[in-house]
Amino acid sequence: MITVTINGKQIKLEKPVSILEAAKMTGIKIPTLCHHKSLEAYGGCRLCLVEIEKMPRLQASCTQYVTDGMVVWTETGRVVEARKAMLEFLLINHALDCPYCDKAGECDLQDLVMKYGPAAGRFTEGKRKHPESYDDPIIVRNMERCISCTRCVRMCSKVQGASAISMVNRTSKTFVEPFSGGRYNCEYCGNCINVCPVGAIMSRLHKHTYRPWFIEKTVDTVCSFCGVGCSVTAQIRGNSIVRIIPESEKGLNRGLLCNRGRFGYDYISNSGRLKSPMIRKNGSLQETTWSEAFMYIAQKIKEIKEKNGGAAIAGVASGRCTNEDNYVFQKFMRLVVGSNNIDSIAGFAYAPARKFFEKIFGQGVTANPIQGISRSDGIFVIGGDPTAINPVLGLQIRAASQKDIPVATVGYAPGLKGFAANRLIPKPSTEAALLAALLTEMLKRKPLPAEKTPFEEIIGKIQPVSLNEAESACGIASGEISACVDSLSGMTNPALVIGRDIIQRSEGQANLLLLAALAQALNGRIYLSSELPNEQGLIDMGCLPDMLPGGRPVAVDSFRKRYGEFFNAEVPSAQGLSLMEMVEGAHSGNIKALYVMGENIAFNIPDNKFVKDALSRLELLVVQDIFTTETTRFAHVVLPAASWAEREGSYTNLEGRMQHLKKAIDSVAGLEDWKIIAEVSKVLGVDMNYRDSRDILAEIAKVSPLHKGVTYEDMDSGECMWPYKGEPLRHDLNIVGIDMPDMKALLKKPEKDKVYIGVDKVLFHSASLSRNSFALNSIYSEPHAKIGKNLAAKLSVASGDHISISTGAGAIELAAVIDSDMPDNIVLVPNNFEGRGAFRVMGWKMNAAFKAPALDGMEAVLKKLERVSAEVSE
Amino acid sequence: MTIKDLAKRVFLVEILKGMALTLRMIFTHAVTRQYPEEKRPPFPGFRGLHALVRKENGEAKCVGCGLCAAICPSKCISVYTSEGSDHNKVVDRYEIEVLRCVYCAFCVEACPFGAVVLTDHYEYSDYSRAAFDMDKEKLLANWDKFMAGPKGEEYFKRFWRPLSEDYATPEDQPVFRGGAGAPKALPGKETVEVQGGLSDAA
Ligand code: SF4
Ligand code: SF4
Ligand code: SF4
Ligand code: SF4
Ligand code: SF4
Ligand code: FES
Repeated sequence: MITVTINGKQIKLEKPVSILEAAKMTGIKIPTLCHHKSLEAYGGCRLCLVEIEKMPRLQASCTQYVTDGMVVWTETGRVVEARKAMLEFLLINHALDCPYCDKAGECDLQDLVMKYGPAAGRFTEGKRKHPESYDDPIIVRNMERCISCTRCVRMCSKVQGASAISMVNRTSKTFVEPFSGGRYNCEYCGNCINVCPVGAIMSRLHKHTYRPWFIEKTVDTVCSFCGVGCSVTAQIRGNSIVRIIPESEKGLNRGLLCNRGRFGYDYISNSGRLKSPMIRKNGSLQETTWSEAFMYIAQKIKEIKEKNGGAAIAGVASGRCTNEDNYVFQKFMRLVVGSNNIDSIAGFAYAPARKFFEKIFGQGVTANPIQGISRSDGIFVIGGDPTAINPVLGLQIRAASQKDIPVATVGYAPGLKGFAANRLIPKPSTEAALLAALLTEMLKRKPLPAEKTPFEEIIGKIQPVSLNEAESACGIASGEISACVDSLSGMTNPALVIGRDIIQRSEGQANLLLLAALAQALNGRIYLSSELPNEQGLIDMGCLPDMLPGGRPVAVDSFRKRYGEFFNAEVPSAQGLSLMEMVEGAHSGNIKALYVMGENIAFNIPDNKFVKDALSRLELLVVQDIFTTETTRFAHVVLPAASWAEREGSYTNLEGRMQHLKKAIDSVAGLEDWKIIAEVSKVLGVDMNYRDSRDILAEIAKVSPLHKGVTYEDMDSGECMWPYKGEPLRHDLNIVGIDMPDMKALLKKPEKDKVYIGVDKVLFHSASLSRNSFALNSIYSEPHAKIGKNLAAKLSVASGDHISISTGAGAIELAAVIDSDMPDNIVLVPNNFEGRGAFRVMGWKMNAAFKAPALDGMEAVLKKLERVSAEVSE
Repeated sequence: MTIKDLAKRVFLVEILKGMALTLRMIFTHAVTRQYPEEKRPPFPGFRGLHALVRKENGEAKCVGCGLCAAICPSKCISVYTSEGSDHNKVVDRYEIEVLRCVYCAFCVEACPFGAVVLTDHYEYSDYSRAAFDMDKEKLLANWDKFMAGPKGEEYFKRFWRPLSEDYATPEDQPVFRGGAGAPKALPGKETVEVQGGLSDAA
């Protein structure tokens, strides 16, 4: 026990902490400048000096730890004098341009000078000069204001892990710059902006528009971009969001955000937003009134239902819509339309993977807290780069790695380069062989117990694959594989972070089985990467062809009956179609009407041409969206929706945490998605009677056994974690319906001379939404095709050269970027930009087990282009 | 009650005193002003209608720091700024809802550049509410009309010395000199000659 006296107050401590922290515990505030709670102590600014009895000199309280019997005084005359002197030194070179500086009003230096500072400066020498830098798209640097506290550098290297900037030069010429000068060329997370105590690194998007006292209200809400669900605070003036900031005490992100979350929100004020409902008349979409649109839809749905039955109508839900929207949508489809044909893009990877793991381990097995990643004793990453898909989750992996926790990555994950001790990059689509070899080796070191669980029985039956077999299949030296096994076998409770690349494969199920087996052998926790903010929620809300709210299978009579009884209605028993089946159905004419809520299926589903063909054959295509998209162009009715900032509801993130999405501003034109659906339903004779989203949540809390009694208040208190207060589905230990993978087939080598096309997940973009963000486009405005260095050499292409990528479906022309870490025979193309997305030229095969598209083995022919052709023809 | 008080009451002494004053006043000048025919010159530093100071180059002096809006107790000032073509700060909108103003002149005091003033113009009644919503153009016009020239200079010299004058600027970068260049005595009774007021009425 340590007893310290601070300003006469006694405090007892279990273990030594810094004086600064001890003072904070007693409610005494010591001023700081270089200290930041998410960063390591630095001790550079000397603002936190305190007087310690029996110590001749003043000590920096942020680095000095308490000892037993220490007596500390934090505001003596000596201390105040010293602080004043330190501030005077800082002001020698500080451009006192507060009236122009955007930091004024929330500037630590300004506040401290007001409190302690010298009234006047005594130096007559001129101040240093350094031009303001506009090299970067969203960051503006004014190094005349920098006080060399190194907070930004520590943030960038220790927390963000990007190590993009450092302190350069010495003495008064010390500035923060990238190592080689010029642009940051970094991840543009903006976390350095957040920690800079002065206005030296600032957001360019908010330049000269911001003053803290201009903010009329703030709304705590959730980021709209990915499945991590970072907490953000929207600062509002008038009816617009001035800025999005993270708050260091809130949410799972604790003051961190990625570039999308921090800057990408500006799409909501894009002038291209849909403003009025539209109906197709004489071949073109024409503006109409809401009531006419509702009448039209209802009339058409009625006709089609009478003629072809409910099963000829299908609905596409969205991972960008709230739980409330998705719940109302599936209720509409099941009870009003009478069809189980409900699915979404989540059905391509996230949902099948989750269902598969839940079948083996029980419901909720993927609901693991994200913050647990940095606290685990090992991390295994496969199927995509988490630092691009779920950036703030990715930071957890980097943080773990900085604490010397072993990280292994399988596949191309550029954001974890330098953080992974074991980086295995197999040839395209050969991960199964590698996983099988890893499992085989693992089981040699940690054999299965004699008394086996049903799943362990299954693991026992998986055919072993030797290191050499794996080496010849996936091209990774057996030594590297066994080194990875060495590292894995030391882990007792690792985190397995699984991305969609490994799932959207013909052998997707085999991959998942091997991963489940590995998770069992390693006692690992599974995290599924999720690209949309509410993929987990839409599944929980029953937007799956075979699941009711709460993850109850439609096929089980008692669940279906209970759900139907609640509304006094009949739930169709036939299993619905998956999204891919719906598209096929539309193409073949079995599906007559498609109702799409907040999804751009003509762009985000592979083989755009086929999808468009299918859409053009529909009798009715209704699209609710906030922008004109590739899909709305085929629609018969387009309905403007409210954007993320304009609605209330909840999102469930990939760890199963329900979070309250709050309305920040009023919608200019659109309505909440649930409201539109409820109106259509009303015209069809079923009045859903919701006044607001609270009513819907109250209904969900009654209907879904999993969400018993959830309220927004629970979410606000941050404790709405899986399984809430509800009843998870009891787990059936007898696992049925798992096919044993045929290892021999999986060991076949990819053909050497072929090039395959894959989807690149770009950090700066999010499906087809982010193209409407000025900020994100200013960072990443053009899609690039990524190729490995051997392929580049073969094509004699240099970075920046244009190449054409052609497949059976067509061709796109893009600038090439060469990354030496990429496997040899693959080209990666992002799917974000209109007309130049990967899915324009990528085909698919049906994965029968998941009823979802498999994207492996899509061959492409690459050619270097001498001349860049501007227009790309269809 | 004493006898003296009683006598005062009986002989209506107080009333007679009053009547005597009235009688005296009959033979003096009338002090009533025949407003609006007869207008009284306001005191210097009178807090009337707002204006934005126009610089010699014709632009507003305001840099858009927003300090006036921050201090304003009735929150009636709105400043909207943006980034100009050469990254300078541009004041897009500067608006005062005059009807909500309490004429405290905090805005004038807070402005580091002496860019906003309260002119001595006080006759601006109107039939529409909109006439009291001052935008940047109207406020600049107010300056031209009521404060331009030596009057405006005088105003800042005598009443609202802007803080920016306390900054010495070697190589065009400011160092705060803590009012070293400021007048020794702040504007007060000793230094200000009072014109108008009661002495004027006599
Ligand atoms: S924006 Fe992020 S990655 Fe870029 S320098 Fe700042 S902290 Fe580093
Ligand atoms: S730029 Fe800001 S955070 Fe970085 S060292 Fe300078 S003052 Fe500190
Ligand atoms: S990590 Fe995901 S949720 Fe967090 S800020 Fe980035 S996009 Fe938003
Ligand atoms: S005089 Fe006072 S109330 Fe009127 S605008 Fe200025 S600060 Fe606001
Ligand atoms: S305080 Fe002065 S410079 Fe700043 S916004 Fe107001 S009028 Fe303009
Ligand atoms: S906060 Fe302790 S030295 Fe800067």
